Amino acid sequence: MAPGPDPNSIGDGAKRDEATTKVPSKDPKKKDDKKEEDLSEEDLQLKQNLELYVERAQDPNPELQKAALESMSFESLGYRLTGSEGDIGSWGHEYVRNLAGEIAEEYTVRQGEEASIEDLMDLVQQIVAFHMKHNAETEAVDLLMDVEDLDLLLEHVDRANFRRTCNYLTSAAKYLPGPDDMLVLDIAYMIYIKFEEYPNALQIALFLDNMQYVKQVFTSCTDLLRKKQFCYMISRHGITFELDPEMVENDVDREMLQDIVNNTKLSEGYLTLARDIEVMEAKTPEDIYKAHLLDGRASSGPSADSARQNLAATFVNAFVNAGFGQDKLMTVPSDSTSGSAGNWLFKNKEHGKTSAAASLGMILLWDVDAGLTHLDKYFHSNDNPIIAGALLGVGIVNCGIKNDCDPALALLGEYIDKEDSSVRIGAIMGLGIAYAGSQNDQIRSNLSPILNDAKAPLDVIAFAALSLGMIYVGSCNEEVAQSIIFALMDRSEAELGEALTRFLPLGLGLLYLGKQQESVEATAEVSKTFNEKIRKYCDMTLLSCAYAGTGNVLKVQDLLAQCGEHLEKGDIHQGPAVLGLAMVAMSEELGLDMAIRSLERVLQYGEQNVRRAVPLALGLLCISNPKVTVMDTLSRLSHDTDSEVAMSAIVSLGLIGAGTNNARIAGMLRNLSSYYYKDASLLFCVRIAQGLVHMGKGLLTLSPFHSERLLLSPTALAGIVTLLHSCLDMKSIILGKYHYVLYFLVLAMQPRMMLTVDENLKPISVPVRVGQAVDVVGQAGRPKTITGFQTHSTPVLLAAGERAELATDKYIPLSPILEGFIILKENPDYREE
Amino acid sequence: MGKKYENVFELLIETTVYKKKPGRNRHDPTQRFVNPAPSKRKEPLTYDISRRPSNSVEEEPKRNKNKLVSLPSLQAIKQEASQFKMLTVSVKWQKKVFEGIEIDVSLPPYVFKAQLYDLTGVPPERQKIMVKGGLLKDDADWSSIGVKDGQKLMMMGTADEIVKAPEKAIVFAEDLPEEEQATNLGYSAGLVNLGNTCYMNSTVQCLKSVPELKSALSNYSLAGRSNDVDQTSHMLTVATRELFGDLDRSVNAVSPTQFWMVLRKKFPQFSQLQNGMHMQQDAEECWTQLLYTLSQSLKAPTSSEDSDAVKALFGVNLRSRVHCQESGEESSETESVYSLKCHISHEVNHLHEGLKHGLKGELEKTSPALGRTAVYLKESLIDSLPRYLTVQFVRFFWKRETNQKAKILRKVDYPLELDIYDLCSEELRKKLEAPRQKLRDEEGKKLGLQTKSSSKDGDVKMTDAEAPSNESGESSTAAQQEGASSSEKGTHMTGIYDLVSVLTHKGRSADSGHYVAWVKQESGKWIQYDDSYPSVQREEDITKLSGGGDWHMAYIIMYKARFVSM
Repeated sequence: MAPGPDPNSIGDGAKRDEATTKVPSKDPKKKDDKKEEDLSEEDLQLKQNLELYVERAQDPNPELQKAALESMSFESLGYRLTGSEGDIGSWGHEYVRNLAGEIAEEYTVRQGEEASIEDLMDLVQQIVAFHMKHNAETEAVDLLMDVEDLDLLLEHVDRANFRRTCNYLTSAAKYLPGPDDMLVLDIAYMIYIKFEEYPNALQIALFLDNMQYVKQVFTSCTDLLRKKQFCYMISRHGITFELDPEMVENDVDREMLQDIVNNTKLSEGYLTLARDIEVMEAKTPEDIYKAHLLDGRASSGPSADSARQNLAATFVNAFVNAGFGQDKLMTVPSDSTSGSAGNWLFKNKEHGKTSAAASLGMILLWDVDAGLTHLDKYFHSNDNPIIAGALLGVGIVNCGIKNDCDPALALLGEYIDKEDSSVRIGAIMGLGIAYAGSQNDQIRSNLSPILNDAKAPLDVIAFAALSLGMIYVGSCNEEVAQSIIFALMDRSEAELGEALTRFLPLGLGLLYLGKQQESVEATAEVSKTFNEKIRKYCDMTLLSCAYAGTGNVLKVQDLLAQCGEHLEKGDIHQGPAVLGLAMVAMSEELGLDMAIRSLERVLQYGEQNVRRAVPLALGLLCISNPKVTVMDTLSRLSHDTDSEVAMSAIVSLGLIGAGTNNARIAGMLRNLSSYYYKDASLLFCVRIAQGLVHMGKGLLTLSPFHSERLLLSPTALAGIVTLLHSCLDMKSIILGKYHYVLYFLVLAMQPRMMLTVDENLKPISVPVRVGQAVDVVGQAGRPKTITGFQTHSTPVLLAAGERAELATDKYIPLSPILEGFIILKENPDYREE
Repeated sequence: MGKKYENVFELLIETTVYKKKPGRNRHDPTQRFVNPAPSKRKEPLTYDISRRPSNSVEEEPKRNKNKLVSLPSLQAIKQEASQFKMLTVSVKWQKKVFEGIEIDVSLPPYVFKAQLYDLTGVPPERQKIMVKGGLLKDDADWSSIGVKDGQKLMMMGTADEIVKAPEKAIVFAEDLPEEEQATNLGYSAGLVNLGNTCYMNSTVQCLKSVPELKSALSNYSLAGRSNDVDQTSHMLTVATRELFGDLDRSVNAVSPTQFWMVLRKKFPQFSQLQNGMHMQQDAEECWTQLLYTLSQSLKAPTSSEDSDAVKALFGVNLRSRVHCQESGEESSETESVYSLKCHISHEVNHLHEGLKHGLKGELEKTSPALGRTAVYLKESLIDSLPRYLTVQFVRFFWKRETNQKAKILRKVDYPLELDIYDLCSEELRKKLEAPRQKLRDEEGKKLGLQTKSSSKDGDVKMTDAEAPSNESGESSTAAQQEGASSSEKGTHMTGIYDLVSVLTHKGRSADSGHYVAWVKQESGKWIQYDDSYPSVQREEDITKLSGGGDWHMAYIIMYKARFVSM
């Protein structure tokens, strides 16, 4: 019937006119002509054909109707398959594009019929080759994904187009259902390896959590300097990774690289940054509160020490001076007049002393040698809370740092089975923080027995489960899972109602963090047999942990449905469902925005226990990324009549502003501190939030995402999620005597810096442009990757959504992702002008 | 160094020269334990003399010889030990690394610790050495620990003083009894709204800020009740006293149930109901009635009528000249009021104008000369000053045409410091001259200006306004005397007043809206008492309550007299 779009036939003019007139268009012809002018020749033809089909399809003659409908599907494909096999490109791009679309549809039809697809694949080959040559990588990838044969891509990528191809693949992966996303990334990995773009390959290997691939990156690359850069990337991801002789032959080199993986130089780099930015001077909590800016509050405060307020000051001091190695409360040398050191320590009451002693670990974060030196004196105290704090402090100081001597294990191991439960918790939690993600068998064999010890108090068991979850985060370790499951089953009815019991399912969930359905299935099945008090809580926690960071829309819907239910009082599982919503959706920008909007609805229609969790979910979605809209929502909720909603909103304000020094949030919190100055609990939350906002004096971030938001550090997420779960019952945990769970945040704390080092790993300063990152996926040519940039010299701070690029040709960075430590190599082609 | 150390390991220490010596201290410890040459391995605990700093060369060999001779048995032990593997390890301590430290695996780890003690100065019992799977125990077996040759060990420990709890335990605010927590805040509690009782709450808060009134009340006792005070007045007075006391003691908002009940009993007009609720009332009425009752009951039964404590504190004596223009008649009269009125008309923009306006008035009365009613002009001047000057802004008036109580929203400024000199009568002005001069001099001095000192050079201090109030016993009598202006006590009125409390009304009409009290504390802080919620305010915001919008606007304000001592 009607011919396909045939650019070769010239005598088509008359026919076209005819077609136009036949169209049952209601518009007058003149108007139609005007429209046609805007369309290209090609599009016009398409449109007209379509109109013709539409007209014929409406024809009363059924025969004609059928023919018209048939001709609409796969017409060009049919001709192509039966016709000559000339150069596919000779008919132009639009033809190829059209063909590709038809192939995809035909493919599904034939899949259904289980017919042969050989002839189609032949065509696919040609089309992909054509697309890849003509800057249409995205279309080639789309076609191959439709016909489920991405491997073909490997043959067609070349130096010119592989970056764009991989870029498209990685961003497409976010929107694909499993296991397709993994396949796509696999291809991207292979392409990167093929073109020796190892840093990107490593990035994807880490994303896939495939240690075999990571190893392959090391074995494929021969340049030692580049391997050092890989080590920096691994260390930022926060996983435990052991180099072997296959990866690095030379022993001395290997030791050096292992040191980088083990993060031993993190403290040094961080302090370099701090000195460069000139923020070494220690800050006091009062410097953060800025009470003088508030009305009439400058005059003398209460004369007696408030234990609550001092505890808040302890945390603020710890967060603000984190990693700087000096502060004005804990590390000040003892002066003879006021007696022994640790004056501040004793301004904290009972369990408050635990957090105070542990704060030393935070202040000396990552500096193991100095940290242990400072903490030593507390080991010899005869006050149990102080010892507990010292133990926890050791764990904190070692967070993310690995050391051959395993000081944390050696020191803490002895205290796990002590009499006093606060000491035990200190040691257990310390181990959890120091060895998060390490999958250390020795610790497992030490901690597992506690879980099933009938005599152990509930809080000790809860922290043991949590620590095991952290140490084996994302490992799907069955033995640990079993121990926790048994521990859960052993709990009495009364114990299941306790606030701390939530750490058991959480520990279980962490084991499957980000591992999706297959791995968690068995455990989820077992959890159905639990006591109904904890069953749903466990379900929600497992589901949300397993899909954390996947952006799985179906799971988001499941969780939303849970949030929407209106239940009897006393059911607590909706809290983790709301948090789970954020955990699943947080990885990808679009899903994140949708989740924020959904949460607004949940806030309006949800029950009170759902509303309480919403601010926390918002805090997780925008962690260390103060979006104005979310800030406003939280600010509104911080005055909510329900004090628990207000408390979570306040803490979340701290979370979204964590490490940003955001002036607006700081102002809000200052006003809240005067608004709530009489309510000790709310004021405590405000103080904590203030400490978070000024965390590391603005040099740190809590975001678990790094490497241009592609990678999600499992330990970091585990730390944040634990804190959020604790915040679901603020009164019994953080405002009770377990306030030290706030220190779990240390797992997510990382310098938000870009520090350039030379080939000897000594810091050097080079000019860089820092600006808002631009999404360049699928764009042709070499588009600008940042906008609104400013030029600084390294080291520089990178805020959420910012990207850096070198502003000099003198050096070549060894990784295209300019974050954290970047090794610079001198550019041999550089000419001084 | 522990005792145990000296007893058990004395021998070893002797032989291995591990004794700490002040002269040969740890300035370069690594050199003393450098890896000995393989040939020397049989005597692992000796050291390479040639590498030692020169100053100790003379002494050491001697000692070395000594012990080798004197302790042959130990040599035997060493021989035996040499059959075992000797280990060389490096130890990291703080930021330092000690290379090449030898471990004799035949000797317990305590010896190794002693070695480290010499290097680091950390006593062995404070040393924590990390080995695989835990800490190195003093009596452990080296072979089971699995330390390898060349291994890096890590040691933790300091000789720092162990933290001790301060001898004087810290008392936390949370542990204090409730009353002490209250004083900690620096201001007293709020009052619970019992249903449209904000008019009463704010009145009570304002009056409570007068310490002299509080002390007068506390002197009021059951026995002190005079016969001419009726039962309900007595009850109200007691209830006021109790309420003031409760407010001072409590941290949390106080519920004034008792007081309210008695107030309604005494003044049934406050019990009016509307839709089953108690109606909003006029704070001014409450204020006046309460003060009147108190003045009645606080009149000391023993002395004469001028011992009226309330009158002494708040009473303003006015001398008025009543003048009829038509007839030219003129008379003068005196009266005593508890507050001055600030009339608000179109010309009034400032408190001062309003007060002047208020002191002038027209009244119609029968003129004896004309034999009919005529318009008289009444002009009043202040004849004596109170310690606390109360001013009422006449914001509410009865609108005849609508039969409604309406509110004047006009903005009328008032100062934090009020000078009412030109509202005083001639006699009073004369009395004020000298104190005012004195005050000016004082202020001048404060500003560092040279003053033509009319007064003596003597060091005369201006008494702080608070000072007399602290001597609660005397205050009421002092007040009375000062009320009569000239005083023998040496402190004088100056005609200058400082703002201490403001009672505001918010809302468009008289029967609705909200009353709030703003009270200056002794500390100088301003506190807003919005029923049960006290909150701190800035002084500059207090003057912004002058009306002209929908914000809180001043209705009754109270000033405190500034004194000068001469």
